[in-house]
Amino acid sequence: MNAFLALLLAATVPIAPIQYRHRTLANGLQVYSVEDHAAPTVAIQVWYHVGSKDDPPGRSGFAHLFEHMMFKSTAHMKSEMMDRLTEDVGGNNNASTADDATWYYEAVPSNYLQTLLWAEADRMGSLDVDEANFNSEREVVKEEFRTSVLAPPYGLFYYSIDKDSFAAHPYRRPTIGSIEDLDSSTLADVQKFHTTYYRPDNATLVIVGDFDSKQLDPWVDQYFGAVAKPDLAIPRVSVKEPPRDASKTITETGPNVPLPAVALTWLAPSATSADRYALDIASAILAQGESSRLYQSLIYRQQIAQDVSADDDLREDLGLYVITATVASDKSPEAVLKAIDAELRDIETKPVSAAELAKAKNQLITGRLRQRETNDGKAGALGYSATVLHDAAEVNSGLAKLQAVTAADVQRVVNKYLKDGKSLTITYVSKGGAQ
Amino acid sequence: MKMLLVALALFTQVETTPPPPAAPREPQLPKPAEKTLANGLRVIVVQKPGVPIVAVRLLIKTGSEADPANLAGLADMTASLLTKGTKTRSAVQIARGVEALGATLESGGAWDNSFVSLDLMSSNLPKALVYVADIVRNPVFANDEIERLRAQNLDALQVAMHQPRSLAGFVATRVVFGAGQYGHNLGGTPDSLQRIKRADIVAFHRKYYKPNNAILVFGGEITPDKAFALAEQNFGAWKKGEVPASTSAQLAAAPHRIVVIDMPEAGQAAVLVARPGLKRVDPAYSIAQVTNSVLGGGYSSRLNQEIRIKRGLSYGAGSLFDLRRDVGPFTASAQTKNESAAEVAGLIAEELNKLGKEPVADVELGPRKATLIGNFGRSLESSGSLVGRVAYLALYGLSLDEINRYISGIQSVTAQQVEQFAGAHLGASDASIVIVGDAKKFIEPLKKQFPNVEVIPISELDLNSPTLRKR
Repeated sequence: MNAFLALLLAATVPIAPIQYRHRTLANGLQVYSVEDHAAPTVAIQVWYHVGSKDDPPGRSGFAHLFEHMMFKSTAHMKSEMMDRLTEDVGGNNNASTADDATWYYEAVPSNYLQTLLWAEADRMGSLDVDEANFNSEREVVKEEFRTSVLAPPYGLFYYSIDKDSFAAHPYRRPTIGSIEDLDSSTLADVQKFHTTYYRPDNATLVIVGDFDSKQLDPWVDQYFGAVAKPDLAIPRVSVKEPPRDASKTITETGPNVPLPAVALTWLAPSATSADRYALDIASAILAQGESSRLYQSLIYRQQIAQDVSADDDLREDLGLYVITATVASDKSPEAVLKAIDAELRDIETKPVSAAELAKAKNQLITGRLRQRETNDGKAGALGYSATVLHDAAEVNSGLAKLQAVTAADVQRVVNKYLKDGKSLTITYVSKGGAQ
Repeated sequence: MKMLLVALALFTQVETTPPPPAAPREPQLPKPAEKTLANGLRVIVVQKPGVPIVAVRLLIKTGSEADPANLAGLADMTASLLTKGTKTRSAVQIARGVEALGATLESGGAWDNSFVSLDLMSSNLPKALVYVADIVRNPVFANDEIERLRAQNLDALQVAMHQPRSLAGFVATRVVFGAGQYGHNLGGTPDSLQRIKRADIVAFHRKYYKPNNAILVFGGEITPDKAFALAEQNFGAWKKGEVPASTSAQLAAAPHRIVVIDMPEAGQAAVLVARPGLKRVDPAYSIAQVTNSVLGGGYSSRLNQEIRIKRGLSYGAGSLFDLRRDVGPFTASAQTKNESAAEVAGLIAEELNKLGKEPVADVELGPRKATLIGNFGRSLESSGSLVGRVAYLALYGLSLDEINRYISGIQSVTAQQVEQFAGAHLGASDASIVIVGDAKKFIEPLKKQFPNVEVIPISELDLNSPTLRKR
């Protein structure tokens, strides 16, 4: 076997699957667990199938603002009690909100597992936030908005991508929302949102780490089994994003922008699409690492960009394919766009090489393996697959699906979504001219 | 079975208080194995089976502290250029070769060290380690690569200098250390980057990149025997040589300055309180960790309680001792809307002073220690952070056994030690305050609290000068 073949085969080393157990409680709660006694810690995650696409009308940013409220008082817990049960005993906790899901996670010494199951079930069952806490935490979220959107020189650039890319789908509303919409939210909205979406039949519980399954199951039944399943149906977004009828170019501005930036976006399929793996590979070939095509062309050879990224940002209903680049000083956005276009024509017209395909697979599989190093990483992978992909088994089958992608698959998806789709081009420059 | 069912039946009522914890299980700490090659290269291996992943860190024990005074950024440029070409491989060949293996290879300058890091599937380690050895031993520092990197670094610096938080960090570094060896931005300044010549880079490499000035650490799914053999194979022929001892400049007493960098239209103000902290080898290491955990390490620390949780003034406030070979900085910081910058600066100063004046109650101290111990345990979960922790013990000449003493060290700290330590090391009157933001929105209230405030328009800022002003 020559070195080249060995390289191609490198990624086919058998990888042990994540061995998980799955149960469904009578109230609809999905439960996934992975027993692993390597360290005396356990990760607990609760994934709710509600995200910023479910923000109420006129309340952009609400799902995320609500996420912050879940750390305030419940029927049986005082504000910040989650921190007492985690941080104070050597654990940690946090939560994240995305377009399609909101997830709450803790990593604690394993002897606290039962305590945390009680606590997560408690805040699933009730939330009792007062006006003072609501107002103060809303100010925190406004500071989060300023920290992520207003303070960084490219904050408004990234903020504009979804807003400008989707015409009708609520994905067009940024997850962080806007100051005005945050200000118009009320405490009554909080209760309503909890009642509507925070329920066992809209949630997935994931436990990974040092526990005994014979103990775990009765605890889960005891605490989560007691949370009632409401009769009302869960509202779901039904808005369909229309196909784009023409390519479009727009300009966005921000203060204190040292170098212009460009973004190109196309509508892309759902994260559940079988095309996702070929798109992942295309993104890696285009922009993962310094040997990637866009890096080589824009940053290394032509030296016209400061950074470049290509990403299939796929979500539950549909996704975006996004290429961004920061323009190097004294270079033009036009030159950068032209160079990106040339690379896209190339990947659309010629199959990628076997070596590039193998490289991309190795990069993506290594990335998935690194996520598996921690209990938290494994739990996150399971929660995402179960909630957004509706297929927990993807944590394992996804590796094989990545392996199976061919050069023809890559060429087919870039033609389908990029060549035949209509592009949106955003050029981001400093408000009031060059810095 | 019946008994269990009966027991469960008693609990069908929802419990209104959390169930208590079970008995704790002690964590298993890693046992590093080590060996020094004939050329002086110290090789350390921490085996961690489970996931087929390996992390490798090669540290040269000299970094940005050795940048000559007018060449800030030299160590970082030198290390960053390692991956950009060797005697037998071009930059493109290195990137292609390493990435084909699914590996991530990075290099750069840091305080007290220059590093190369490699993360990958364990099965590909033998092939990838060849690249690490080649770039460290045989870099060519081609002129076109130097110019390419210089242009990229200048642009990256422009971006960082338009971000209030990163600019505040650059300014605080200069304010705390003046013309001292830690006083510059390790990524350089717009002027210093222009001054760095190829000869400077070649000389830096020749002077410091020696096996007897290096540490090689492996962690993850690899046995010590395999790692030692790979180290010998790839680095055994690396020639040892004389290395100048690291200089330890006496730190001048830091001035107490209140500096505002006026960035009109800044979307938020970055507020930073900074002062000299400690050396990594200071015997008060554990006391400093516990003190910081109470003050600003973690979500429930005092700074975050006061600034975020109670008042909603920031998304997060915290503090950090950056412990180095010599005295590194202590910083406490928060970002807030421009209008509340003065209030936040006052709150940070108040918490710094308070900690040295009254003992921390046990109900607070215990949980803050637990937080540290828990974070420590989790930092050993991924190969990358495990290897980083071990490499830094070795860098500072500490026993690798420290990893087994961390928990007992933290547990032994008393409230009295924290109070004394905070009184001696954290008083706000010895600290400097740096605020980067839209000055007109906070300068009046700030002047009332701190009359000696200096306001420097961003257009007049010079990071090379201890005065911070362009001449």
